[in-house]
Amino acid sequence: MRPAVAVVDDAPLIRESMALLMPGLDVVAAVATVEELVRRRPTADLVVLDLHLANLEQQPDVRQGIAAIRALTGCGYRVCVYSQEERRFVLAACIAAGACGVVSKALPTARAEQLFLEAAAGGAVVPQPVVGILEVLVRRDCITLLSERQRQILHGRARGLSYAQVAKRLYVSESTLRGYWLDLTRSLTESLRNLTPGEIEHALGLAPGDLLEFWSGEATDGKDWWRTGTSR
Amino acid sequence: MMSGRSRLWPVAELPTTKAGVERAFSYFIAGVRIGTLAQMVPAVHAGVTTSPHDVAYLVCWAAAALASVLVSVATLVRRRPLGAVVSAADYTLACLLLVLAPLVLVSGERFGTWIAYQPGYALSVIITASGVRSLALWAGGMLGIVVSYAVYLGGAFDGDMTTTAIGNILTYVVYALVTRMFFGYTRRIAHDADTSRARAAELARREEERRAQVMMHNGVAVMRLLTEPGTDAARSRLIDLAGVEVQRMRSYLRGRVPDQDGDGPDTALAAMIERVCERFADLPVETLLDLGAAVRLPAGQAEAVERALESLLLNVRAHARADGVVVHLDQSADGHWTLTVRDDGVGFDTATVVAGVGLREVVVGELRRRGIDVDVESAAGAGTTVTISAGPTPSAVRGDRDALTDAA
Repeated sequence: MRPAVAVVDDAPLIRESMALLMPGLDVVAAVATVEELVRRRPTADLVVLDLHLANLEQQPDVRQGIAAIRALTGCGYRVCVYSQEERRFVLAACIAAGACGVVSKALPTARAEQLFLEAAAGGAVVPQPVVGILEVLVRRDCITLLSERQRQILHGRARGLSYAQVAKRLYVSESTLRGYWLDLTRSLTESLRNLTPGEIEHALGLAPGDLLEFWSGEATDGKDWWRTGTSR
Repeated sequence: MMSGRSRLWPVAELPTTKAGVERAFSYFIAGVRIGTLAQMVPAVHAGVTTSPHDVAYLVCWAAAALASVLVSVATLVRRRPLGAVVSAADYTLACLLLVLAPLVLVSGERFGTWIAYQPGYALSVIITASGVRSLALWAGGMLGIVVSYAVYLGGAFDGDMTTTAIGNILTYVVYALVTRMFFGYTRRIAHDADTSRARAAELARREEERRAQVMMHNGVAVMRLLTEPGTDAARSRLIDLAGVEVQRMRSYLRGRVPDQDGDGPDTALAAMIERVCERFADLPVETLLDLGAAVRLPAGQAEAVERALESLLLNVRAHARADGVVVHLDQSADGHWTLTVRDDGVGFDTATVVAGVGLREVVVGELRRRGIDVDVESAAGAGTTVTISAGPTPSAVRGDRDALTDAA
């Protein structure tokens, strides 16, 4: 059965072509703003959310970025970010704000569709730079991993190793390893959400305040960090 | 002063080659033979006077003297010991002189005088002719002289002189053996020296060839990519890379000796990796370097890692067709660092595909030569993982300590 997916993107081309280009997804709504989606409240397994939603011509004053993620997760949606954003702390902030995944718009369509399906099925789609950050947080004892096996899986995945490679090293089947990874990413992203920017800055060796630009304190304020951050 | 001494002492200038050793043998042989002749000369008058057949004594003496001179001159001219035929003749003459000696000597003079020069002459032949190649000729010659010496003692054999006679016979045997060993061993040393020199020259040639390959390889890869159609942005990045490669090639052509010891200021590995990856902005490279931010390497090692990483990324660009490349740096608490370069491209079968110059020389060869481990893991369709790792260098440990201090 195809998962029901709602798309939030300010680009009409994306909204209109998503269902055609990704036939594995049942696109039940395609809207330009988070506000509109919250108003319509469609039933969806996943919301595919663009990070940059404000634009001067059509919708200069809408919620976007972390605030958009928090607004949607606040409504009980699973949110997967679909963006061209590449700054690793922005990606990590999205996960910390409650997104279950981040998919790059630079990926081939089929690969992106596969990741959306994983996210809709309950998986966590953690981009490689964020896996790297999580590994650092674990190594610096900022996040506690209980088992040695979990540490080994994170060690392999942070180096870009495939599921097959890590599975081979740990003498388990690939499907078993995918299960482990799913549990591990859920647990790690949950831990990430509970960390303060200050704790992360300390673990990563950043200066105090470096992450404030990315990590927002307030949850669903329309005047979110994102717009004020870019206009500064 | 050295050259003056060398002229007086020609052996000092002899090369330590096979030809040089044979030349040294010719000096040795001429020296022994002329030396023996010099010992024979003072007694010749007394010998002629006391001999029962003075003319025959003189003829035999002259034959021995002539043989000594001829052998000396011939070896010096040939620059090597005599051949088999002349050596056989030399042995034969020595035997003949011993056998004829009882006819030209009075019996009381066969021991301990140079009037009876024949045993001494035979000894000089044994010493000098042992350089002959044929083992049979050497053994036959020695046996012939021993038997002839027994004949020489012959009828005049006096019981009191038995021990002296046995001693003289042993002298022949021992000197024959010792000089044979001396000739043989010295020739072996010369042979080994020649072989080693040839091997060293071959290794030097191969090393130079390898250095040229290492220096040129990345440059050639960049040039090949430049000849392929591409966007202006891609070409501009390639031109940046080409600039770096041109610098390297020029320093090679200027004959700069590579910094083997890795002297020079330490390099921060993470910053260097970041710089290299920036030159490959067209590739989907993720750099995760936080865990190795404190790694510092000696300049020589860092340069080798830089070239290796560049070569790996050039390979990814040219062959891998990868959707993702992860460059990950890690350092353990004991200072060991590991750089992992992983691509999810087409990969290759490491058992059947012969690695190119890039992977074999620029990556594996160069890094291992500098004490850095390299492991290449790949399979067709499963991407490639290259793991580069090394133990703590003094500087790396220092870097780690600095980081800990900073963290504290």
